[in-house]
Amino acid sequence: MLVQFYNVSKIYPNGAKALDDISIQIDRGEFVFLMGPSGAGKSTLVKMLFREELPTRGQIFLASRSVVRMKRSDVPKLRRNMGIVFQDFKLLERKTVAENVSFAMEVVGASSKDIRTRVPEVINMVGLKGKENSFPGELSGGEQQRVGIARALSNRPLLLIADEPTGNLDLNTSQEIMELLFDINRKGTTVIMASHARELVRAARKRVIMLQNGRVVDDSPNGESLL
Amino acid sequence: MRPGSIIYFFREAGKSLKRNRLLSFATITTVAVCILILGFGVLFTINASNFMNHLESDVQIRAFLEQDLTASQISDIGRKIEAIPGVGSNKFISRDEALQQMQKDFGRREYDLKETLGKNPLPHTYMVKVKNPREVSQLAAKIKSMPGVYKVNYGQGTVEKLFKVTRWMRIIGIIFIVLLLVGAVFLIATTIRLAIFARRKEIYLMKLIGSTDWFIRWPFFLEGILLSSLGALISIGILAMAYGSLISKIDNLFFIQLVSDAGTIRNLYLVLLGTGAGLGVVGTWISLNRFLKV
Ligand SMILES: Nc1ncnc2c1ncn2[C@@H]1O[C@H](COP(=O)(O)OP(=O)(O)O)[C@@H](O)[C@H]1O
Ligand SMILES: [Mg+2]
Repeated sequence: MLVQFYNVSKIYPNGAKALDDISIQIDRGEFVFLMGPSGAGKSTLVKMLFREELPTRGQIFLASRSVVRMKRSDVPKLRRNMGIVFQDFKLLERKTVAENVSFAMEVVGASSKDIRTRVPEVINMVGLKGKENSFPGELSGGEQQRVGIARALSNRPLLLIADEPTGNLDLNTSQEIMELLFDINRKGTTVIMASHARELVRAARKRVIMLQNGRVVDDSPNGESLL
Repeated sequence: MRPGSIIYFFREAGKSLKRNRLLSFATITTVAVCILILGFGVLFTINASNFMNHLESDVQIRAFLEQDLTASQISDIGRKIEAIPGVGSNKFISRDEALQQMQKDFGRREYDLKETLGKNPLPHTYMVKVKNPREVSQLAAKIKSMPGVYKVNYGQGTVEKLFKVTRWMRIIGIIFIVLLLVGAVFLIATTIRLAIFARRKEIYLMKLIGSTDWFIRWPFFLEGILLSSLGALISIGILAMAYGSLISKIDNLFFIQLVSDAGTIRNLYLVLLGTGAGLGVVGTWISLNRFLKV
């Protein structure tokens, strides 16, 4: 198992109960949706994977290593195993497409030789060949999210985590981004995607974990519950 | 650390300097003002302390001898005084010399003191300097208890007051400098925080990508050290000019002797430069840590 949650609960310091006794397991190579209405706890669950938040109770393992008990100094290593894709892209406006991607490799100490070969590779993979020297402000929303995905892939992650990656995009563009994510999954990367876009998720026919008020209300291997 | 990373740190620091010109300028100015005030404070303290040392080392014990001693008894007492641990120098002043000195100090040439007084009423005296001015009262008591010495005088009472005053002056000087340092750190941290705040999203992103805290810190440290050293250099320049002209003006005006020993002054400037760079590091450290808690 790549990801294991055991009886995880999260109560924020202000008293908001975001997750309530969650237990889930995700295998290598899976594509999993976290579905649920706004406020269901999707983002909280996702943030626990890369340890931006710690659970109030329960245990979380990534590749059999405890995320909860991990030393602070080991957190960077944990995060280097994952690529994160954000709803608002989080691109650096002053850097070009290529620089946004190479930045992610530089800050984890990749060699310049590796950076030189990997950056064009991932830019090709997300279909942005020719846009290497554009700035984010010159790109459409869909293209910007492709840069975000290229950046997330640059360090060859085991696990791609996407929190509402299509939240700011129109339906057509969203479907293109979904195709890209499926493609990445087919090449072997495990993908966990949080979304409240019911249509998009239903069309995918992938595993769907339904959250409501911080609880798992359904977990269906091919999204049957949405039919 | 890989050489590629070091190049990256310098490049990032340089880029940030170019981008945040206004904040860089603010940091330099803040450090310059702080170091300038600190520099003046330290110069004042050094001079005050120097002046107080002077006052203290002027303290000496006069040991008056009984009238009917033979020459060998007198030199015997002199040797005994010199043998007391803690005694620095010891100078014999004969009664004749004392009278001549008095004549020189007070006589207005209209009267000859010796003639007026008939006889020389002054005793032989030993002028004793002590190594540590703080031991003066103990040593005076020891000297007084020696046979042949009938009285000692070291400005009893006044000396103790002087020491009390100088002690407080030194404590106040140190408190003053510490307060200045704390204020400077706070001010610089606030300025640097603005620069870091402008890049908080980038820092957050780096953290989530898996960058280590040190990797994120280095460019900011380089930037902080560079800016604050520059600020310190500016203030040292101003300080050197101001103090230099003060020395040349005051030296032939007052009896006060300003500290002007080149070695001391150079060390002071080096310490100020180090303090400036240190303030940059501490300020960056304080400001940055909050943003690294992701
Ligand atoms: N940083 C936070 N502090 C306090 N409460 C929070 C915080 N983040 C989320 N919450 C609360 O936790 C619950 C779940 O939020 P979230 O995980 O963002 O849900 P979703 O991503 O499914 O919309 C909500 O009630 C939300 O208000
Ligand atoms: Mg959310």
